[in-house]
Amino acid sequence: MPEASSPDGTVRVEVGTHCPYCALQCAQTLGPPDDTAVAAGSPVAVAGRDFPTNRGGLCRKGWTSGVVLAAPDRLVTPLVRDRSGDLRRAGWDEALDRVAEAILTAQRTHGRESVAVFGGGGLTNEKAYALGKFARVVLRTPYVDYNGRFCMASAAAGALRAFGVDRGLPFPLADLGGAQAVLLLGSNLAETMPPAVAHLVGARAAGGLVVVDPRRSPTAALTDDGGGVHLAPVPGTDLALLLGLLHVVVAEGLADRGYLTARTAGADDVVRSVAAWWPERVEQVTGVPAADIRAAARLLAAAAPAAGGTGAYVLTGRGVEQSTQGTATVTAAINLALALGLPGRVGSGYGAVTGQGNGQGGREHGQKADQLPGYRRIDDPAARAHVAGVWGVDPEVLPGPGVPAVELLRRCGTPGGPRVLLVHGCNLVVSAPDSQRVRERLAALDLLVVCDVVPSETARLADVVLPVTQWAEEEGTMTSLEGRVLRRRRALAPPMGVRTELEVLHELAGRLGVATGFPTDAVEVFDELARASGGGTADYSGITYDRLDAGEALHWPCPVTPDGAPDHPGTPRLFLDGFGTPDGRARMVPVEHVGPSDRLSEARPLYLVTGRVLEHYQSGAQTRRVPALAAAQPEPYVEMHPWLADRLGLADGDEAAVTSARGTAVAVTRVTSTARPDTVFMPFHWSGEGSANRLTTDATDPVSGMPEFKVATVDVRPARTGPAT
Amino acid sequence: MTAAGGARRRLRVVVVGAGMVGARLADELHARAGGSADVTVLGAESHEPYNRVLLSDLVAGKVDLGSLTLPVPQGARVLRDVTAVLVDRARRTVRCDDGSVHPYDVLVLATGARARVPHVPGLSAGERGLPRGVHALRTLDDAREVVAAAANGPETVVLGGGVLGVEVATGLAHRGLAVTVLHPGPHAMDRQLGGGAGDALAAGLARLGVRLRTGVRVTGVGHDAAGVAHVLLAPAAAGAADEQVACRLLVLAAGAVPETDLAAAAGLAVGRGVLVDGDGATADPAVFAVGDCAEPPEGGMGLVAQGWAQARRLAVAVAARARGEEPRGPVQAPPDVVDHDAGTLDVVRAKAHGLAVSAMGVLAASAPPGARCLTLSDPSGARHVEVVVADGVVIGAACVGDGAVAADLVAAYTRRTPVPRDPAQLLVKPVRGSEPATAASPTLMPDRATVCRCNGVTKGDVVAQWRSGARSVAEVVRATRATTGCGGCRDAVCGLVEWLERVDPDPAPVGGGAGGAVDDANDGGADDAARRALAVVPT
Repeated sequence: MPEASSPDGTVRVEVGTHCPYCALQCAQTLGPPDDTAVAAGSPVAVAGRDFPTNRGGLCRKGWTSGVVLAAPDRLVTPLVRDRSGDLRRAGWDEALDRVAEAILTAQRTHGRESVAVFGGGGLTNEKAYALGKFARVVLRTPYVDYNGRFCMASAAAGALRAFGVDRGLPFPLADLGGAQAVLLLGSNLAETMPPAVAHLVGARAAGGLVVVDPRRSPTAALTDDGGGVHLAPVPGTDLALLLGLLHVVVAEGLADRGYLTARTAGADDVVRSVAAWWPERVEQVTGVPAADIRAAARLLAAAAPAAGGTGAYVLTGRGVEQSTQGTATVTAAINLALALGLPGRVGSGYGAVTGQGNGQGGREHGQKADQLPGYRRIDDPAARAHVAGVWGVDPEVLPGPGVPAVELLRRCGTPGGPRVLLVHGCNLVVSAPDSQRVRERLAALDLLVVCDVVPSETARLADVVLPVTQWAEEEGTMTSLEGRVLRRRRALAPPMGVRTELEVLHELAGRLGVATGFPTDAVEVFDELARASGGGTADYSGITYDRLDAGEALHWPCPVTPDGAPDHPGTPRLFLDGFGTPDGRARMVPVEHVGPSDRLSEARPLYLVTGRVLEHYQSGAQTRRVPALAAAQPEPYVEMHPWLADRLGLADGDEAAVTSARGTAVAVTRVTSTARPDTVFMPFHWSGEGSANRLTTDATDPVSGMPEFKVATVDVRPARTGPAT
Repeated sequence: MTAAGGARRRLRVVVVGAGMVGARLADELHARAGGSADVTVLGAESHEPYNRVLLSDLVAGKVDLGSLTLPVPQGARVLRDVTAVLVDRARRTVRCDDGSVHPYDVLVLATGARARVPHVPGLSAGERGLPRGVHALRTLDDAREVVAAAANGPETVVLGGGVLGVEVATGLAHRGLAVTVLHPGPHAMDRQLGGGAGDALAAGLARLGVRLRTGVRVTGVGHDAAGVAHVLLAPAAAGAADEQVACRLLVLAAGAVPETDLAAAAGLAVGRGVLVDGDGATADPAVFAVGDCAEPPEGGMGLVAQGWAQARRLAVAVAARARGEEPRGPVQAPPDVVDHDAGTLDVVRAKAHGLAVSAMGVLAASAPPGARCLTLSDPSGARHVEVVVADGVVIGAACVGDGAVAADLVAAYTRRTPVPRDPAQLLVKPVRGSEPATAASPTLMPDRATVCRCNGVTKGDVVAQWRSGARSVAEVVRATRATTGCGGCRDAVCGLVEWLERVDPDPAPVGGGAGGAVDDANDGGADDAARRALAVVPT
């Protein structure tokens, strides 16, 4: 591969890659810095590149992404905590030796389960794969999981149960453009991935955009002026709303009976299960007027193929999934889509809008507690045998399933739990629920190792910090929200002293006695990953860097073909001929609404919902370091309805104290009529006293292990009545 | 589990009644005591369990018959077409009309209620049931008969203007029938609504073509060879003849009577319903009653939510008994999705076709001292909203003709969330767009107004780039990145550039201090393109 940058790190040619942030993975061109880049402090010029998903567009985060490459506090040397408790600069050998020694000591004293790995949904496929392999082959610990558990686990569990396959969008995103109706449940696309909004133009023109969100978010506002319908349920009641929508579809004879008979199993039980969810009852539970529920259901049904419509999509996002009943909610959304005859048809379908950059690929290659590469189950003997064969180990040495992320964190530093934790691509103490408790667990470890690009809040707590490369400094692949495998390409050399995580894992494996099997070249890792995934659900075995670099649009599954046969073209649209279940039928499973784990009370009479703002990404570790973004959204805030602000004696700009059963956060008041009067909203991009995750609960979904980020009950008061003393 | 004490005999639970509450109880028992109880449900109807609440929707033609079918309770033996005829409390058995005998350790009466048939001449039920043309609306069969009878578009009288009467009347009117509601009370739904709301309801019914007669007393029902012919009303003036209201279809919606015969024959205390304590227990520790047949201390409301809450509490208690625990004190049931606490079960929501009617909690007329009662009265608009607020929460509300306000009120009432300092805000929903969102012309648009949200570009940014030499949309886009996110602001940016071309065609170079043309420009003449385009996102 030709080096795109000169030895001093400056970019010489234009390189096509994809944005470092969300799962839309907007196509970018990185080039030599122009005046704008220089003025912003970016070593590369960033431009949007035409691509089916982003059509040349980028949001503010993408345009300014180059600035993070030259962040003033960029980590360029390993850091090691010394006896006095301070992090000091260290050489790579010293840092890696310290990690290896701590691992060996912990394993000797406490066994292999004393070491744990925590990965991230932003890691490339190659890193995610290598990390999972490292945990199973080198550490031989069951304790590996990742922050995808915070975002995609419920959608994955629901889709797997229904379809036998979990690919966020089992169709190209651009297919949305032809649909007459799109139901968006708990997704704020207009802020989280703005260029995706272009694909909603058709549905809006048909008056068919239905947005379910307690807030009148910028996405919900797209339904104004005849664009569609905004339903604003009481937080935590989306599932009841879905049951009500399905009730109307069934009661009014709008279901696609032929499709249900031919392509599904279990429809009768599901149909019966919604008989008790008539719209007036749903209104009482959700606060959504019964007439609106009926109107939305009819609008979706009219768009369905059975009614002669041009197509309809049901899409879920974190708003409905980050819930103790997230899997059930996804299941209810799928049941609705199936009743309307949408999945597995061109121009219609169900999908989950993946959040993190590699949230899709990150959940396919083995960094999930119960999983091996290719979306295989680690408790499946055939899967173990296949993967062990690729890895050249005895299947017996592979550990069994571990525990989901929240449970893994709960066990850190407890008797019998992990004593050493390696964190990759995740700023846990900002992004995990009930973050104060997470801090306590991390503090109880013998050794915390964090690989990061900047001194994130989690890195600052670490005993060893290893500086690693950013997107523009590395090769690899990402799998976008539509299951398309994309090439991430290196445009410039990393700063001196920075290594890739593949190099880190190679070095550590060697120190832990595994000299081979951890190559540092991304293409080599990918080829092994492809082999390991072969025959699995997420089959990458027919994908190569050469094919991707030639511009082929490859969605998995893309199995390898025999020599001489033409290459497999990939699978842009899944399920057209049948679902991934043994009999090819989608499974419909009845679900019931229970409600969120937090309950309103006199002490905590308000709901808190959390989410993102356009200018920041996840824990904000990257975007808070971009001056333009930080200036636009400089601080944590709490958004509330004018009625509530008036009642609480809070005005725009006042500091408000928000208290849940977990703790208190203090943030600036923003008054807006886009809020429900019973609900306050806080973005979760900040640490410190305004951190939203001080308030969230670590109660989890019983199926997916996903925490309930989206609903907590709180009290809100003016924070400081007088000047601080 | 069983190693210590040996296998415990499974608790035999017999539920009499497979209606909405009986079936729900069986489900709850399965969920909580599935492994330790044998549950038998005795259903008198031949149908699978179905949603009785939706019968009026079926009559209205709004829903398919098949959609009423509820799940068959899991893990229970559900018998159909068997009527329990005798409870032998000494032997702890239930005998049915088919001769079968069912022994129990716990007996739950969930026999429901039957339609009340007014005691007037011409209505007495004979051997073959009600007279021809007269129908109650309590069972699926009743509903089918009403639908069949409605097919020929007969003149219809609905006897009773309560919730069910209003639902049936609007439903049949929706089918195109001429419907008259005869109601003895001062206004329709007078058990739930005060007079103002009643007036609005009357106006709403009139709009839907339903004739409503209130304050009337039915004295008899007349028949001819074709069946029912008219309803007789007591005359308004003494000495006058009874008034005849013609009809070929008469639907009884005059209330319900708890089915207590079985309990009374078994010697259990019966008032209006089977008398039970807060946990559904009768004086016999083995016998309970839930749902419409029961009369708990707070009284039966005839609402399914109350019955479901009772079923849940009872299931918790029975499950404890099945495990060999005898709980002391009141049962602490887990909260339901609706009954966050018992005080919020009393939400009434009429499913009237084309008319939203809700009532909850206390009425303004019976509000406690100090409570604030606010009313929006709009009778000719068929709208009425009434809210009772005490201690900062909604303790009662009634709402006719505004479904959106009603939905907000029910959320606030059931969850006891804080109300605005001025509760009058609760009475209307602000019209979308009442907040200024569109600038009439770019001239009036503040510089800080955001044009492109995805890239944080303001009007001021676009103007600054214009002055710096950007002379086309493409150049402005290149300089500001406006339109390159979601693309939604393209029209606005084009409009701004067109406006700048007109008002500031040749700006002084940057640093020249001027550019005043823009600041001082009068938006000379209409520029529809620019006006249409400038949907401004407030910052």
